[in-house]
Amino acid sequence: MFVLNNKVLSAIAALCIALILQVAIGPSIAILSVRPNFLVIVTIVMALVNGPVEGAFVGFSAGLLFDLLGTGPFGAAALGMCVVGYLAGVAYERIFAQGWVLPVLVLAVTSFIYELFSLIILLVLGQQIAFFGALVTKVIPIVLYTTLAAVLIFPLLSRLLRENPTMETVQHLPRATRI
Amino acid sequence: MSPLKIATPEKRNRPYGWLILLVLISIVLITVSMREGAHGPIQSSRVAFQTVTSPVGRTGKWVTTPWRRFTAWLGDIGVSRSELTTLRDQNAALRSQVVQLQEQVRSAQASAALNESARSSGHAGVIADVIGLPTSSWQQVIVVNAGSSKGIKLSMPVLASNGLLGQVVSVGPNYAQVRLITDQESGVATLLQENRAQGIVRGSLSGELTMNFVSMDATVTAGDTVVTSGLGGVFPKGLIVGQVSKVSKEVNSLYKVIQVKPANDIGRVEKVIILTDTPPDITTLPPAKATGGN
Repeated sequence: MFVLNNKVLSAIAALCIALILQVAIGPSIAILSVRPNFLVIVTIVMALVNGPVEGAFVGFSAGLLFDLLGTGPFGAAALGMCVVGYLAGVAYERIFAQGWVLPVLVLAVTSFIYELFSLIILLVLGQQIAFFGALVTKVIPIVLYTTLAAVLIFPLLSRLLRENPTMETVQHLPRATRI
Repeated sequence: MSPLKIATPEKRNRPYGWLILLVLISIVLITVSMREGAHGPIQSSRVAFQTVTSPVGRTGKWVTTPWRRFTAWLGDIGVSRSELTTLRDQNAALRSQVVQLQEQVRSAQASAALNESARSSGHAGVIADVIGLPTSSWQQVIVVNAGSSKGIKLSMPVLASNGLLGQVVSVGPNYAQVRLITDQESGVATLLQENRAQGIVRGSLSGELTMNFVSMDATVTAGDTVVTSGLGGVFPKGLIVGQVSKVSKEVNSLYKVIQVKPANDIGRVEKVIILTDTPPDITTLPPAKATGGN
């Protein structure tokens, strides 16, 4: 059973902010009908800060919110985001570099996995989409746009969410051995 | 560049169990949502959630209006000033004509009603404001501020000032979601106004429209007007869908490849009219295959 500690409260707050950004701002900053996915950004940052299990739970919650906004099969985004949240959390355990470059790279890769998963879901549901065309015109632009948005909000978000705000990285360095 | 730190991560037992549980819950949710109708618990939850979030979308649309106008202005930079002036004059003249024609149609409808004609050719509609633009890159769905309280039902056609815009796919008490004809799940039975060749206009992920199943024998040129054919009974006949922008042929294909420019620019649509007297009373929308609707 979850206790409403700071970690849970900050996750709820981050999800609420991401939802508001997705609904209020996302539609108006579309470029060629491509919009950044703020819920994916929050999921992956939470996973990078807290680890795989937390990443999976935040991803599942973010996905449910995304599913509630849309008209597609309910649960598809929850499935995709909980998996990429978990994967990002696993990556978190292997990040040894300070700074934001590597975490943003992890975000780009996991975001790509999520959007690719979304495309596959549409194909599985029988929609007539050219796979490679969609990959080039949709998946990659979404990932680039989401990553660009992440670069802008990542430093602030990770500082707000991590347990020790004085650290320069999302990694819990006390668990690592410095040479 | 920050220095690299080499470290030995702790070995931990990863709790795969939670991930598996969440994945299983997601799969169950997907299965349930695919099987339930328009009034199941998941759809009801969506309606409630979107009712709550629609003011957020409306506020966001209002707040970002300057930004959208700026980007629209940027998009117009490529057009020369003289062209812009000419187009604006033409637009104003056409709008005036449209208003006059609409008045004539209403007048004709009133006359028909007076004559107790049971088969009026006009359509009743509810005017609504666009309060939410698409939130996802994968779906072209907008939100308008008219819902079941104003008689809006699933599958009703939605028009903007220049022609057909989409179809109602979800209805709440005070809002409705409209799937645009440019969405990849949309399909509209259409014909070319000039030569009456019939086909299906489908949307795409990129937001482009393609008219399919037009015979190689048909003479089609860029600029031809595409209108709804009325087949299928969802969209009434004669609504403007767009204009042919490009015609090409593919090797071994039986049909021409026709690209259609949508009549409406969704980024600039602010008001729509939902035709309330045209579609059948559909309670569950069928999946995407369209011969006259989604």
